Amino acid sequence: MTIERDEHGFDAPAPLGHPGRLGLPDGHATGPELGDRLPDFCLSDAFGKRVDYHADRGERRSVVVFYRSAVW
Amino acid sequence: MIRRFGILNDRIEPGDAFLYGVPYPGAYVTDEQGRVIAKSFHDTYKKRDSPEILLDAALGRVELDAEAPSAVAVGEDVRVTAAVRGGRGSLRQGIVRKLLVRFEPSPGLHLYGAPVPEGMVPTSVTLEGPEGVVALEPVFPPTKPLRLPGIDAELPVFDGTFDVEVPFYADGRLVSETRPLDAEGVTLTVLARYQACDDEQCLLPRTERLEIAVPLDVVDVPKLGMHRGHGQREGRYDASPHLRRMLLRSVRQSPLGFLRFIGKQVRLELAARRRRRESR
Repeated sequence: MTIERDEHGFDAPAPLGHPGRLGLPDGHATGPELGDRLPDFCLSDAFGKRVDYHADRGERRSVVVFYRSAVW
Repeated sequence: MIRRFGILNDRIEPGDAFLYGVPYPGAYVTDEQGRVIAKSFHDTYKKRDSPEILLDAALGRVELDAEAPSAVAVGEDVRVTAAVRGGRGSLRQGIVRKLLVRFEPSPGLHLYGAPVPEGMVPTSVTLEGPEGVVALEPVFPPTKPLRLPGIDAELPVFDGTFDVEVPFYADGRLVSETRPLDAEGVTLTVLARYQACDDEQCLLPRTERLEIAVPLDVVDVPKLGMHRGHGQREGRYDASPHLRRMLLRSVRQSPLGFLRFIGKQVRLELAARRRRRESR
């Protein structure tokens, strides 16, 4: 596969314009804003156990991360 | 759930096979009531904040670990420390680290924020590095207003010790996921400019130059055929069964759609090869 550098300066083994490489457009909404309460959700964790976000968070602070093709 | 948050990646079309349905990546930090106190979204999925930055936002303080690469400049009146926060200071493609510059003025002295009247120097921090180091806008703490006798204006000052943060990352020119590392590390240069004053007089402006050596690092990816041969470190986790399952699901849901997606990929690939030929 052809390696191309995108306008952000990043290389990837996929051609430019590939849907997997398209980023967040300028001015696009990014969900809940500062001060908003995060929506309720309930999802399975890696072990299949259901996690009810707000109920299981208790009275603690939290970090909610949406990621893809994740590398840190 | 992604739709409920309003962050579905709407540039990926329903016909784009297994890619459809992913969110624009980002992070929310909440308080005890589940309300957002910090959020972070970048313009490309390859840019993301170090976990340490998210933890700092959640805890409301910056914790520097002893292993973080750092440098100190001890002036007569102000001590300046610069350190890299996140990933033990390593630079990896797209992962946003934070340069933390701490100013510690001697008791009785203050430094200035912007704007200040002509002839005075506001505090500034510049991060320089080899090509591919991208510094974002510095973040200054809030200033306090100071009114001095004889000056008909309120001056914005930093009182006591304060930190200036400069988020930054490396792009494909310095570290890439498609080639091995070109070097083990690089040197970052930090220019910290300030003017210290007490309530009666000002000292001459100074610029401290600090150099920090930081290691470069490749990115970790799960084992996946299509990644092989690039400048990455394959993890122990094998992703190919999951990719196979996603592909099969996509084919089952819409065999024709999947074929169209393959056709689209081939067209994009041919266009990329044409660009490469023309650029030679």
